[in-house]
Amino acid sequence: MRIACPFCGARDSGEFTYLGDASPKRPDAPIDGGVAVEDQFYDYVYLRDNVAGLTREYWYHGGGCRSWLIAERSTTTHEFKSVTAAPGAGAAKAKQAGER
Amino acid sequence: MPDFVWSSQSPLKKALVPGRHGAGKGAPGVALSHVSDIALVQVMARRGRNADVAKAAKKLFGAEPPAALKISSGKVVTLVWSGPDQFLAFSELPQTAPSIEQQEQAFSGSASLSNQSDGRCLIRISGPNARDALAKMTSLDLHDSVFPVGSAATTSIDHTAVNFWREADDASGNPAYVALVFTSFSDTLWHLFVESSLEYGVEVAASGTGH
Repeated sequence: MRIACPFCGARDSGEFTYLGDASPKRPDAPIDGGVAVEDQFYDYVYLRDNVAGLTREYWYHGGGCRSWLIAERSTTTHEFKSVTAAPGAGAAKAKQAGER
Repeated sequence: MPDFVWSSQSPLKKALVPGRHGAGKGAPGVALSHVSDIALVQVMARRGRNADVAKAAKKLFGAEPPAALKISSGKVVTLVWSGPDQFLAFSELPQTAPSIEQQEQAFSGSASLSNQSDGRCLIRISGPNARDALAKMTSLDLHDSVFPVGSAATTSIDHTAVNFWREADDASGNPAYVALVFTSFSDTLWHLFVESSLEYGVEVAASGTGH
């Protein structure tokens, strides 16, 4: 199986490692925000959808350009629909992911 | 306190056996060599400072940072793409490349530098069957139309990260490739290169002589 790295082109899947779901967003809340924030963080850390179809996932091209990527992959066919650089990959953008 | 004597030695001291190995008696299918005396610096642009890095590289090396999957050549130094917004500045000694101090000064504030001169081992593979031997261990497509002279890649060979690029063809017009491997893995990969080349006949140059 091949994965098309946006920087390197199509490469053997053995050069990549899978991290997990790229959909959850870190709650933008103060650390000491009470029970409501705790619930939000519980969802963010533990709860995942078990999708049959397209998912967004983090992959790492550790055997190549060492960039974090976001892939759209079908869990039913294993087809990679798109692979893009994760926010903050490389140095071109002036700010890091999550930085304000 | 004991006195240490730090003497450098080739990581291929045991593995490299000069001379002709494997099949045939005519011209060898593959030529292998280890270039021992290199200067190598990893240059990684800091966030949002790409334009400054390009300007400094042009001034210092006489070459723009390489485009993705390419090398760019200055007077002495070859710049090898090694990932988004980063490259390796490589030169063979004793050519006078800018010193690490000069590089630090030129990229001050715009890039992070790491001296890898003793961290990597440079292996050259060339000859009419070089591509056949490499096909056994890399998943890269090395066909002329995909990987012409001046192409570069960061990839895995035998589960080991390798910086790989294609130099100008050798004197006989055969393709010539360079693999830059971690020093501590070079013994393993050297054996792999030799074993993969035996069926074509392989000529191993004495260490440090290049070819």
